[in-house]
Amino acid sequence: MLALPELQQSFTAGLLGGENTALLDLIEGDGLDARARLGIYRHHVLTTLTAVLDAVYPVACALVDRRFFGYAADAFIRRHPPAGPCLGEYGADFPEFLAEFPPCAHLPYLPDVARLEWAVHLAATTPPAAALDREGLRAVDPGRMADVTFTLEPSLSHLTSPWPVEKIWRAHQAEGKDLDVDMTGGSVWLEVRATGDAVTVRSIESGTYALRDALGRGMSLGEAVEIALGSHPTLDVEAEIRSTLEDNIFSHFTVLAREET
Amino acid sequence: MIDQQPLAGIGLRARHVGELLARRPAVPWVEVHAENFMADARALASLEAVRCEYPVSLHGVGLSLGSAGPLDRHHLDRLRRLADIVEPCLVSEHLSWSTSGGAYLNHLLPLPYTLETLGVVAAHVEEVQECLGRRILVENPSSYLRFRHSAIPEAEFFAEITRRTGCGLLCDVNNAYVSAWNVGLDAEAYLDALPAAAIGEMHLAGHVANDADGQTILIDDHGSPVAAPVWRLFERALERFGSRPTLIEWDTDIPELDVLLGEARTAETLLAAAARKDGRARAA
Repeated sequence: MLALPELQQSFTAGLLGGENTALLDLIEGDGLDARARLGIYRHHVLTTLTAVLDAVYPVACALVDRRFFGYAADAFIRRHPPAGPCLGEYGADFPEFLAEFPPCAHLPYLPDVARLEWAVHLAATTPPAAALDREGLRAVDPGRMADVTFTLEPSLSHLTSPWPVEKIWRAHQAEGKDLDVDMTGGSVWLEVRATGDAVTVRSIESGTYALRDALGRGMSLGEAVEIALGSHPTLDVEAEIRSTLEDNIFSHFTVLAREET
Repeated sequence: MIDQQPLAGIGLRARHVGELLARRPAVPWVEVHAENFMADARALASLEAVRCEYPVSLHGVGLSLGSAGPLDRHHLDRLRRLADIVEPCLVSEHLSWSTSGGAYLNHLLPLPYTLETLGVVAAHVEEVQECLGRRILVENPSSYLRFRHSAIPEAEFFAEITRRTGCGLLCDVNNAYVSAWNVGLDAEAYLDALPAAAIGEMHLAGHVANDADGQTILIDDHGSPVAAPVWRLFERALERFGSRPTLIEWDTDIPELDVLLGEARTAETLLAAAARKDGRARAA
């Protein structure tokens, strides 16, 4: 017999991995092989978690066909089981897994399509945040504006891809069935967010993306402007900052403390 | 409220929420899986609309009361916050484990019934009841295996858990039937051995028969009407426990709302008959 902690470790390994003789010896056969009994539990764990991934990643699933998706999901679940019981939060690592999964190597756009689907899922399930304190922001000393950092509204994600992932995604939505996807169309820069009860996926300019993405990563306005100008020297910074605030993409701001001299 | 007639509710899943709110059928209460509302703002908003119209029972599947390791306090706090919003009529969990070494396995996994497990489960039930500030019900699992070193019969294990913690039992009649079939026990004797006074709720659901290496195994898939032998076992449970709030669960191949309501009416007929019998017995 095993003590409970060891039994549960052994059971977990037996569900997610291979044969485990010590565990099988603990199970009463009752007329059926212990392996078959353990297999009933394994089957439930793998099929229900595959269904969770399928619900979040329907386009990735459609791009590879259901059987291959099940194969990839099985490998993912065994390597990255959920960390907690709220399965709405499960599967964030799946795009990275697909990027490293050799059988998907011939579909280089697949991980980016999956990243977009995770962003859509996040936008659909994240509670709306309070609006940015605009009065407070207007009251910041203009000389300190470069030291302001922002927090993105929590439903919002930025992502970029060398592939036309937005069009691929739209072609798999009910309203996009007739869409032609030009795979040679070049890079896309996307902003995904909740708007009311819907999720909006929209394409933005690369310069706009550079500024917003840097701010979203927690850089100060001064640093973000520097980065955006570095890659887009002709960017109209003032107009970009104005449109960024008009689009309500932030929920909070902080003025970084300056070191006293 | 002793004289209040316990009635049959339904398990409420996302696809029926809109219809339930639009039609407002005369169902006395509904039960939802707590985990579906902890990380989904829109689902929670819809649940808040439901709880204005119907009493809501919160049925947890993720606390892992039988984990050898500590309870997930983050998850327990989420359950407490949800209970603060919903003000549920009942809160229930399972006699099982799902989490080990940081992995959540999305299944109600079997426990060996030993003194060690008794200590673990009782401590976790107490921790949950203290955090929530209320009594919870613990449900009997559907079993597909048993451990050789299980020394305590499951019904006795339950009796001891209720004695140590004051928790109630959620007697899932379908689970009792499925488990008895799968591990070769007597379902009626199992019900007879449960502590009747502690039963706070009953569950009914469908199961499916699968072939495993030539042997029939019953899978508790909640994907069909309640089977005839489970209705008979339910009648037996009513004789033994008296009338209790009873729930129709249906989680896979979910049918039209009216199908669930029809199953609930069948349960209600049996509950009413049991209540009349109780009344006569008390009057005699």
